[in-house]
Order: sequence, then C-alpha cells, then structure tokens
Amino acid sequence: MNYFVIVYYALLIGGSCLAAYFKRREIFLALFSLTLASFVMGIVGGQDALWAVSIAAGLLALAGGTAYAFREFLVIISGTQTAKALRTAPLTASFGMFVIFTYAVLGIFAPVIAPFGEGEVISQSFAPADENMLLGADQLGRDLFSRIVYGARNTVGLALVATMIAFVIGVLLGMVAAVKGGWFDQLMGRIIDVVMSIPGLIFALLLLSIFGTNLIILVIIIGIIYAPRVFRLTRAVAGNVVVMDYIEAASLRGEGMWYLIRKEILPNSTAPLIAEFGLEFCFVFLLVAGLSFLGLGIQPPTADWGSMVRENATLISFGEITPLIPAAAIALLTVSVNFVVDWMLFRSSGLKE
Amino acid sequence: MADDKRVLLKIQGLRIEGYSDEKWIEIVHGVDLTLNRGEVLGLIGESGAGKSTIGLAAMGFARDGCRISAGSVEFDGMELTTTAESDRRVLRGSRIAYVAQSAAASFNPAHKLIDQHTEAPVHYRIRKRMESQEDAMELYGRLRLPNPREIGFRYPHQVSGGQLQRAMTAMAMSCRPDLIIFDEPTTALDVTTQIEVLAAIRDIVDQFDTAAIYITHDLAVVAQMADTIKVLLKGDEVEEADTVTMLDSPKEDYTKTLWAVRSFQRPQKSRPADGAVPIVTVDNVDAAYGQTRVLEDVSFDVHAGMTVAVVGESGSGKSTAARCITGLLPPTKGRILFSGEELPANFRARSKDQLRQAQMIYQMADTALNPKVRISDIIGRPAEFYSGLKGAALKTRVDELLDLIELEPSQFYSRFPPELSGGQKQRIGIARALAAEPSFIICDEVTSALDQLVAEGILRLLDRLQDELNLAYMFITHDLATVRSIADEVVVMKEGRVVEMGPKDVMFTPPHHPYTDLLLSSVPEMDPNWLNTVLEERGVDNIGEAART
Repeated sequence: MNYFVIVYYALLIGGSCLAAYFKRREIFLALFSLTLASFVMGIVGGQDALWAVSIAAGLLALAGGTAYAFREFLVIISGTQTAKALRTAPLTASFGMFVIFTYAVLGIFAPVIAPFGEGEVISQSFAPADENMLLGADQLGRDLFSRIVYGARNTVGLALVATMIAFVIGVLLGMVAAVKGGWFDQLMGRIIDVVMSIPGLIFALLLLSIFGTNLIILVIIIGIIYAPRVFRLTRAVAGNVVVMDYIEAASLRGEGMWYLIRKEILPNSTAPLIAEFGLEFCFVFLLVAGLSFLGLGIQPPTADWGSMVRENATLISFGEITPLIPAAAIALLTVSVNFVVDWMLFRSSGLKE
Repeated sequence: MADDKRVLLKIQGLRIEGYSDEKWIEIVHGVDLTLNRGEVLGLIGESGAGKSTIGLAAMGFARDGCRISAGSVEFDGMELTTTAESDRRVLRGSRIAYVAQSAAASFNPAHKLIDQHTEAPVHYRIRKRMESQEDAMELYGRLRLPNPREIGFRYPHQVSGGQLQRAMTAMAMSCRPDLIIFDEPTTALDVTTQIEVLAAIRDIVDQFDTAAIYITHDLAVVAQMADTIKVLLKGDEVEEADTVTMLDSPKEDYTKTLWAVRSFQRPQKSRPADGAVPIVTVDNVDAAYGQTRVLEDVSFDVHAGMTVAVVGESGSGKSTAARCITGLLPPTKGRILFSGEELPANFRARSKDQLRQAQMIYQMADTALNPKVRISDIIGRPAEFYSGLKGAALKTRVDELLDLIELEPSQFYSRFPPELSGGQKQRIGIARALAAEPSFIICDEVTSALDQLVAEGILRLLDRLQDELNLAYMFITHDLATVRSIADEVVVMKEGRVVEMGPKDVMFTPPHHPYTDLLLSSVPEMDPNWLNTVLEERGVDNIGEAART
C-alpha cells in the first residue's frame, strides 16, 4: 500500500460523498461504482490497473475541460444569436468543434508546422522516434509527424471538395425535382436509383480504371457517387416545403423557379442539409482513405492518411503502433464530425427537451 | 359538509409554468375550480388563456415543457399532483377521459374504430372484449351514428369528421368515466355537423350523469353545453357564474367585450348599376381533380369595392372556385373574366399585370408566410417585383404598408414571422397582398384560425382598406357571423354547385332555399335554450338526415 493507492481511493470516496451531499445522483453513481470496480481491478491488475484508470480519467477530464473552455471561448467571440445556440451545445459537440478547428489549423498551416517536407527522406526506414522525429520514420525514412500534418491538408481537403461537389449536384437537382415535379422528378429519381444500385467502392474502382487516377477525376467521381443520397434528402425536405402556402403565394406572384429555390425553399431546408453535410463528409473521407489504401487514391509521394496506413501496415506484425497513428487521425476526425452533426440534428429535429 | 360528496374535482391555487428561452415562465397564475358530479363546466377564453393547460392539469398532467408548480388538484378525494404517475395513468382513461380537438389526428389511422374503443376497458379489465364491443355499438347508437352495429369496423379515414368526433366521444365513454374533458371538440367542424355533435355530446353526458369540462372559445357553443361558465384571460380567472347569469349580466369588462364581438356589422353597399362591368366574372365554370368533378356550372360576379361572401360546408367547392380564379386549377369548362377580359386558364400563362390584379390571403398565416424571411422582405418583394421599387423607395413603401395594416414599422420591419402573434401574422399576409396594388383579393377563411376579438380586428381592417382602396373581396368562409358582418352579396355553395345567391339582406330574410335555411339555423346563438329549440323544430331523431338533405 503506497501513497498513490491511498490518494486514489480517498479522492474517489470523497468525490462520491460530495456528490451524494449535493444530490447529484448521476455523478455519485458514476464515482461510487468506479470505486467498487477499482477494488476488483486493484486486486486483479495491481497498481498498474489503477494507474491506467487514473490516466484515462485524466485524459477524459482534459478533453472535457478543453471542450468546455472552447465552448465558452466561442460563446464570447460570436454574436448574440450564435452565442445562444452555442450555449445549448453539449460538451461532446464542442469537443468535436475543437478537434475540427485543430485539424483546420494543421491543414492550413501545414508547411509552417511540419518540421520536414512531406517527401523528404531524412532517416532510415522505420527509424524509431527520437528528439528529431516525434513519431519516428515511415518505410522510406520520411518523418511520420510531418506526413500526418501534410496528410490533414490533402486528405481532408480532398474529402471537403468532393463533398461539396456532391452537395452542389444533389441539392440543385433535388430542389429542381421538388419544384418541377412530374416527368423531370420521375426521370431524375430513376437515374438516381440506378446510380445508387451500384456499390460505391466498386463504382469508384470501375470509373477510376476507365479514366485513370487523376486527382480532379477522383474528386468528381466521388462527388457523383455521393450526390444521389444528397438528392434524395433534398427532394424529401424540399417536398415538404413546396406544399406550403407561401410557395403558392410566390409562384402566383409569377416568381421564377430560381427565385423559389434560392429565397423560399433553401432557407427552410438548411438545417437538415448541414447535418447531412457532416455525415456525408465522414463517408467521403472514409472512401478517399479506402481508395488510397487500395492505391487508387492520392498518389505518392503526396502524404495521405489512407495510404500511410497501407504503407506502414507491415509494422503491425512487429507490434508497433506506428501504422495506427494515421488511422487514429481518421477515426478522431470522423468521431468529432459526428459529435457536431449529432448536435445539429438534435437542434434541427426540434427536440429541445 | 354534506356537499363534499357531490364534489368530484377541486382545483385550488393551480399554477403552471412553461419552459421557454431557457427559463420557466408562469402561464397559469393560481386558478381555482370546483366541479360537482354530473355538472358541466365551460372554460372559455382566447388562445393563450391557458384553457387546455388547465384541462390537462385536471388529469394531473402537464404537457412536455410544462410543469405544475403550485396548487392542488383533488379528484374524488385523491390529490393528483402528488400521486405516483402509475396510479394517475390508471385514473386517466378509466375514470377521467379526454376528447381532443382534432379527432382525425387523435385516432390511430391503422386500427379500426372499435378496436381503439375497446382498448381501454379491456386493458383495465373493466369488460371483456366482446362485452366491450357490444357496449361500443350501443354507445354509437346513442350518439346517433348511422349503422351503429357496423360503423365501428371501419377505419378512421372511412368516416366523416363529425362521425369521427362522435366516435371519439363514445370512446371516452367506454369506461364510464366520472369526468370527461372536451377540448374544443367541435371547433374544426362545419356548423351543420357541429350541431349534431353538440346534441350527441349533451345527451350522453346527461344520460350517464358524467361531469365534464368543456373547453372552447365559442360563447354560443358553451352556452348550450355548460351549467357554469368560467372566463379565463392569460392564465387568470376573470369571472365565474352559472350560464344564464353569465350571459345576461356579465360583471367584468373583459367578459362584456367577448360578448360584444358579434355585434360588428357594416352597412350593406348598394348594388352597382346593371351595366357595370364586374372586376371578376366566373362564367359557367366546371372543374375537376382528376376524374372527380368538384365544380359544376358555377357562375358569379364580383364588382369593384364590393364583398362577395362564398359560404358552404367543407367540400362544397368554395376554395376550388378560388383556385380556378387564381389559375392554380384550370377549369375544364367555362371562363374567368377580369374586367371583361378573359384570363388564360393557367396562371403560368398570365401576364405579370394580370397576376398582380388578383391577390390572395390565406387561412393559415403560419404556412402562408415564409418563417425564414424578414417581414420587410415578405412585404417588400411584391412591391419590388411588380413596381420595380428599390432601396429607399422600397423601404418607404414597406413602411407605408405597415402603417396601413396598423403595425408600427420600426418594430416589425426586421422581424421574422414566428416572432409574431396569429393576428399580426394575418395582418402581414394582408400587407403582402396589398403590396401588389391589386383590385381584387381572395380571402380564404382568413379569420377562422383566429380568436374572436382578433378576428374582429382583421374584419374591421379589411373593411377600412376596402373603403380606402376600393378593393373587391371574395370572402370564402363557413362562418355565417362573418358573412353577416362584412358581406354585400352572398353565394351559397353545396357539392360544387351554387345553391342560392343574392344581396345579403335578401339572403338573410326568409324565405330561404332549404339548404341556406339549414346553414342559417345551425349557427349557434347565445340563448342557452337555442339547441333545444332547434332540435325540437327539426325533430330530434332525424337531425342526421336533416343535415344531409
């Protein structure tokens, strides 16, 4: 029995008592069940298990604190209307926003942040981490940290552009289909059905092998593959708006279709569309990473998280975590985007209670 | 006290709070209420008065986002605010029942009426399923539903609105509750249907000696139903008295204003000379939705500066006639003339000026105004679109229009529709129509979604605008009180045909066409004995048929 263990249990029990005293039921339950679980863990896993628990709790608290501080920061710098909305954001959402913000900074200032160039060979292949290289070297001896920083710019940027293309195509066609109806709606619907019936990855592989793996073609193909889902959502959302009396009033006034879409329908369907944008972005992002992993996405020596996983995959058999770092970067961003999207969906669904 | 045995529901100092904008706001400020067994209490007030909230609180229930913050609700000696939710749930349905405003929205469309009827008694083990079905059929009979032995096996969409409302009342009766709460059960119905439902509800409440709370904003209706009336205003009680006293000698000023609403009446304008060219002529128009014919040989004229009221039950083709005029539904036969000049049948083929001349004001201001567009743009757009106004000139015009509809420009200029009250929204709808500088406006049930006081304000405004701008109105409504107050000419429609038409004074003096007569006699009057008198005249048993012929 050393000081660490004594302090560990003292903190937990003290915290539980405080929570109970202030009638914070959930906090008390969480803390006290952790205390009980720690007894078992302490017996089975010894002091190390307790250390792991403390570190995990510390990380969680750190993330929570960061999220809280970031939300307060956003509330202070934004206008009253936005601030009101932000105040309702749960900590998960502001954590997500913080991560997205960090990635954006990494991507934009990549050349300043990265200590080495993305294609620069500076060491032996698979060299371990030292004071020069934060995360060691990859299979060609390039600095892994620099490549991850550059990867943020390439992978995320590519996914962002592809998602935007998907949205421009899908939203535009969906709106027109909803407003015009009739044969145009039917025709678009059936074409979209055909595109959707082909599995995305297979379709991408097919098109890429026809047109070659050019970056622009890649972006356009991904945009086309994801546009049908956006089309369907837009058409459904706009369909509910089109039947409103104010649309009838506007078309009786003699307004053209473009005005109807831009001024009357779009403002009433932004919330679900933004939420969908976040979700689509994750899927596109994963597809880009998947294509890169197969060697059809971004071509070397350009850094990209998907291909980085593939290139370093051999290290897994040696028990190294290096290939998992770019994978973790992908996972963290996907989870973060989903945190934010969840909150937006919650807001747009009107379930405020 | 010996009286205590009779008291069924006792509410004392009831306060209810609602959650909005991140804080709790009190919406009911300490209301007391006592209801004896077998009595009917009428709760009356404008929207936002807290009628429905109090009605729900009588079941110990608060809506999502609301909470009962103080006071007691004592039902048959049981304190509902402190009872466990599981006990309250047993009470609801078996001893307290609730009849909602929209039966169509409250029935599950996927189950037969009788299956929904038997659910509660079977669940609470009051009756076996077969017994309960027998009972349902008997109740259907008592509520004078046609084919009481078969109607229960239909789905909700297979019966009419009035029948559905009666089936709902039967369902509320299924466990023979001590108390039923009726929340505006007839508001959504036509007058001719309303009278059947009212009679049915009153009889059945009488027969089973059930106590009831009857919530409505219609005074004439509550006068027929209630023994005592309580008037509410913004969550406070204004006064309470028995029905006769309340109608004859209301004490509070607010109550008097409620009573006075129906008095607004405008002198009828003289008919224009025979040779005058009407602004709008509907000439032998037929129209159909697909294969279903909805208009047959409809003709009428609207003259400049005059108001033509088109009345009829729902489904009579009033709104379809409006859709033909605006060109949303091209007629299959016949012509629409505007100042003697024939208009293209489809609105897409009409010129900008033709579109400008005829404007429309909608029933539901909520759906007629885009919630994401500022008031300045809603009103400004037609002015910009038709007259090409820009910048400062446009702003002056919008201010002018806001002044015209009696809303302070600086206050409303940059707001969004959801921030406005129902009456204000309707005014914005009027301003949008005026912005086009039309000569003819179609008003489609513009007051039926509004409280009486607010509705009267809108009617007065429309009347003033007509005088100032020499507008012609086509006023679609099912409310004959509205017709009486502002119409110059009346067109009565039924099943897609014009049954009778003429100047208002002629139409409101006998002899009438039998259908006009039925419509007129179905409008509830303040007299508490009105329902009895009408039922006697028509013969109680054939009231259903009277409405159908």
